[in-house]
Amino acid sequence: MTYYLTNILVYAGVDIIACLALNLQFGVSGIVNFSFIVFQAAGAYTAAVLSLPPDSANGGFQNYVLGAQLPFPLPWIAGAVVGGLLSIPVGLVVLRRLRPDYQAIAMLVLSVIVNLVITNARPFLNGAAGLSLIPQPLSDQFNPYSAGYLWGYVGAAAVCALLVFLVAQRIVKSPYGRTLRAMREHELAVTALGKNPVVLKMTIFIVGGVMAGLSGAVLVQFITIWAPSTWLYPETLILFAAVIVGGRGNNIGALLGAVLVPVGFEEATRYLPQFGPPGLVPAFEWVAIGMLIIGFLWFRPKGVVPERPGRIPAASAPGGGRLAEDSGAR
Amino acid sequence: MNLYLAAFGFGLVSTSVLAIAAVGFTMQFGISNMINLAYGEVMIASAYAAYSLNSQGVSIWIALLAGAAFGAAFSFLLNRILYAPFQRKGTALIGMVIISLAASLMIANVMLPIVGYYSVSYRQGSGSTFHVGAIALTGVQVAIIGVAIAMMLAIHALLTLTRLGKAMRATAANATLARNCGIPTRRVIDTAWLITGALCGVAGTVAGMNSESFSVSSGSGFLITIIAAAVLGGAGHPYGAMVGALLIGEVTELSAAVISPQYKEVVAFAILVLVMVLRPQGLLAKRGAMAAAG
Amino acid sequence: MPASTAGVADGGATSAPSTGTAAPPMMSVRDVHRHFEGMHAVDGVSVDVLPGHITGLIGPNGAGKSTLLAVLAGTLPASEGTIIFDGADITRWPAYRRARHGLVRTFQLPSEFAQLTVLENLLVAAPQHRGESLRGALLGRRYWAADERREVARARELLARFSMTAKESDDAGSLSGGQKRLIEIMRALMLRPRLLLLDEPMSGVHPSIISEIASYLETLRDEGLTILIVEHELHMVERLCNPVVVMAQGRVIGQGSMSELRRQREIVEAYLVG
Repeated sequence: MTYYLTNILVYAGVDIIACLALNLQFGVSGIVNFSFIVFQAAGAYTAAVLSLPPDSANGGFQNYVLGAQLPFPLPWIAGAVVGGLLSIPVGLVVLRRLRPDYQAIAMLVLSVIVNLVITNARPFLNGAAGLSLIPQPLSDQFNPYSAGYLWGYVGAAAVCALLVFLVAQRIVKSPYGRTLRAMREHELAVTALGKNPVVLKMTIFIVGGVMAGLSGAVLVQFITIWAPSTWLYPETLILFAAVIVGGRGNNIGALLGAVLVPVGFEEATRYLPQFGPPGLVPAFEWVAIGMLIIGFLWFRPKGVVPERPGRIPAASAPGGGRLAEDSGAR
Repeated sequence: MNLYLAAFGFGLVSTSVLAIAAVGFTMQFGISNMINLAYGEVMIASAYAAYSLNSQGVSIWIALLAGAAFGAAFSFLLNRILYAPFQRKGTALIGMVIISLAASLMIANVMLPIVGYYSVSYRQGSGSTFHVGAIALTGVQVAIIGVAIAMMLAIHALLTLTRLGKAMRATAANATLARNCGIPTRRVIDTAWLITGALCGVAGTVAGMNSESFSVSSGSGFLITIIAAAVLGGAGHPYGAMVGALLIGEVTELSAAVISPQYKEVVAFAILVLVMVLRPQGLLAKRGAMAAAG
Repeated sequence: MPASTAGVADGGATSAPSTGTAAPPMMSVRDVHRHFEGMHAVDGVSVDVLPGHITGLIGPNGAGKSTLLAVLAGTLPASEGTIIFDGADITRWPAYRRARHGLVRTFQLPSEFAQLTVLENLLVAAPQHRGESLRGALLGRRYWAADERREVARARELLARFSMTAKESDDAGSLSGGQKRLIEIMRALMLRPRLLLLDEPMSGVHPSIISEIASYLETLRDEGLTILIVEHELHMVERLCNPVVVMAQGRVIGQGSMSELRRQREIVEAYLVG
């Protein structure tokens, strides 16, 4: 029971961080980052190779770089940093004045390329087999199977999620967030108002990348394995579904989406009887995700929790409004 | 040297498969202004439709027709039921991409329980082998090249000689203007999806014929190579897609010979990203719909 | 007190002669070209934009007026030529940099930030707001609250001046065409522009509001703002603009006041009749 609960909660924490990040990039700023999962993977791999011993250990059955055996929380910090660093070249290359669906495709393709390359370049990150036996934080001091440790991990994940939430809130409620939303609505007009769209996009892209990397690091040291099959391009779509369902542009919405879609979904389908041949239920899940996205985009594109702008205190004197009493056809 | 010639020969076959697919894909983009990410899955579904006949003993060439018909019907329905309504609603381009990606995943996952995970192969005699210097191709492969050439000519004839073709070009250039000139754009678009869907179906079946085997997961790999060919030639331009297919088809086969077969697809994908970023209107097209508004 | 628009004032002359004013031009356009795939949308245009005047830019469809405006604003790069704005060579400057220096454009098609409120639309334009960078955002509300208060006050002044105060909290996307135009103009004014480039501001606006917008523009000019306006509605041009520049096929074929232009060749006549 403990194991089950802590499992859900850690996943919830990770998904919340990821959804908050994607919400900043996509929901607030309109960047359709179809390569999001790559940044989570980068954080995971970084945390893994920094906490693993050199690859000759354990009989040398894995082949990877580094193996620095660094103590907690360094792998998590490094994971976040690498997520951010990776965002720089990707962002500079892709976030130009391309028609937005092109941008999205370019990032989708990137996601596929990176996965392919990692799968085939075996000595780098152990190729298709991926990394396993990844050490858990402080596992030399505590028993990683004890209930106390597991709950401690939940606590650490929760702290990270809270931190990310606070940062996301500060961004969304600030003039910077307002400018990002304006850029999402009409990038050209924002340029005409003296804002540099490249700076705006790059900064939020990097922030999202840092958060994505952190989510990967938190996840990987919990599940102790990580392989290319974990981060295929459709995984990004689950997160998109979460943001669309929960409510674009809204941090609470992102939180809700994370709980409803990746977490809620996985849990709900766990309770469904295993009907049909094996593999039917996961396939059914994907169909449901697709229908969820299409359904929401049709019936409720704003999501469950629509974006509500920060309320600016009303003026004390309402002021003249004869022209404002407009019926639309003065 | 012989290695490269042989690779060149295989490249011709890849080109043929790709050309059929890319022309259909790019025409869908041209007429509906959307990137149909479900195209690869429809190809595979059509390949399976053909397989369902072929595995019962029907000749692969008849099954090919079935694949074409299946692709036509499926694509037509996909547009009618999913894409067009969202477009009429005014969904932004990026919403359409998300929708088509969702559709592609749904199609793939509906297929999986029906056809299973394991790869299948067509029953086809490979026919005699033809040799031209170091180039060696089976009868089936030569036939595929023939099919591709035939379809390219057919499309060319359609676009230049028939009224429908001209209506399609007009609708692709400016749908509102076309409508104002009395062209029944909705019917034209429906027909365009039937035709491009047929191309999609043929491409899928032919790809299956050219591979030792195929499975549901082959779809996404196809899709990206197709997008690469289409974008190279300038999205929305069928003739450009033919040239793009030639370039991608040859480059992938040659790089498989030079670098390693595993990275074959990576090369195509890398080309795609480079083109999208450096010259989104494609190598050939003058001005695409590709540049952001401004 | 209305929000002031600091500009190089020329006494706000309404019927000054089209040439020979004492003040140096706000903008000098020297032999500017814009080619694209063999088409010369702008084919060697040289004009001076005089401070404190509303300069009109007219001509038939396809004359290159909107393209020229886009080149001046930096939305499109010039293929050749030089643009000097207030003494600085801005030819290679990106659009946002020009806006920061006081050269602000509006758009022909509605360009409001639909899902932001009217007030937020104006606030986005606020220049040099501490809260606008990532760093400022992360430092928290206390860091940028003063700037925000100041800008909110300025925005509300503008809203009051244009009688849109009651719409402050409405989503900009829900407004009428004329109201959206006003938002764009107010947004531009938040930047304290010195030269305002208006791209067909009357298009898509209900006729009863056109006159209102024209009055606002006249008042702004009287306060010293320089305006360049691309417009089709010739009676508006008649009322507001002096001087007027006529373009056809990418070139300037006439400049002067409307009355002077009317007296020029029949060719110009043909365009003015339209």
